Amino acid sequence: MILLAKAALTVGGTLVLAGAYTMREGVIRIDVDEYRAGGSHVHMWVPAAAVPMALHFVPDKHMRHVSHDACQAMPILHAIVKELKKYPDTEFVEVDDHDQHVRIRTQGGRLQIDVDAPDQKVHVLCPLSTIEDVAIQIEQHGPAA
Amino acid sequence: MLDRYKTLFVKTTLIAGTALLLLPLGTLAQSTSGPPSAGQSGSERATTSASKDRWLHVRVISSDAKGETVRVNVPLELAEKVLPAIHQDRIHDGKVKIDNAHVNDVDLRALVDAIRTTKDGEFVTVQSNDCDVRVAKQSNHLIVHVLDKQNSKKSEVEVKVPMKVIDALFSAGKDELDLVAALHALSAQGDTELVSVKDHENIVRVWLDSKNVTD
Repeated sequence: MILLAKAALTVGGTLVLAGAYTMREGVIRIDVDEYRAGGSHVHMWVPAAAVPMALHFVPDKHMRHVSHDACQAMPILHAIVKELKKYPDTEFVEVDDHDQHVRIRTQGGRLQIDVDAPDQKVHVLCPLSTIEDVAIQIEQHGPAA
Repeated sequence: MLDRYKTLFVKTTLIAGTALLLLPLGTLAQSTSGPPSAGQSGSERATTSASKDRWLHVRVISSDAKGETVRVNVPLELAEKVLPAIHQDRIHDGKVKIDNAHVNDVDLRALVDAIRTTKDGEFVTVQSNDCDVRVAKQSNHLIVHVLDKQNSKKSEVEVKVPMKVIDALFSAGKDELDLVAALHALSAQGDTELVSVKDHENIVRVWLDSKNVTD
């Protein structure tokens, strides 16, 4: 009985620690709804810490390919995210039409992009630190690296 | 006695484990807060920047049928840091290349030098039935004011740029405009309105202050 309890504790403890580690940076949330025939409906929640970890398992040739394609954008993205982390929660862009709303803002260390239009809704929420980690990893596989 | 301690230990461990398990769920709940409700304005949600950061604000309010509103708030320091990372077309290292400093046979650099060394005063004053134009240097600011009277619906444009910003803009090498230097010079300025455009259905404002929220 005690052996079983020990085993359960070990498994439970491992699961708890793994869960805590995976969720320590929150989640990346992506919601896309297209209101038309055959439109996409994507609802994705991914633990933010899992993405940089998963990138380590992407084959080098694919990472080099991505890095080559994004070589101009990555330093800019990296610089933006690095700077955004220094500022308080802010609404950077807000566009309100009578039926369309676009908002880009930071909230609690996360970048939030919301697009509400009659034909589509897009909501993206991603921790800035995750974007920075991903940008760094992609840059590291670049031609200059 | 030993069994009682063991049971107590197992219970404590289970409670601690459950608490640890719930901890990330709290983070999850925080990070999945929904999109802003329509009733909340950007000003209400944003917090005021407590630091000495300088913010450039752009606001466009259209009073036409669509009633479009655009609000952009950019920290100058962010722009200063990001611009050098852009290397595309004519923009490199925070500088934008212009083919030559002679635009329509006007030597911009010489013009800027002349304005810099000139005392405050009005350089151009045009008053006609169609429009009024005024270009002046006043308190180390270059001021351009245009009042269009062509239509029954008047439109008014006012641009006010500190001379230090113009100097910084032209401080790079020949045929280059130094955007980063201009932003840096701008950040040293006090709260000021740079551009104001008003016509019968649009109001555009570009201004600088220390707040990360618009009015």
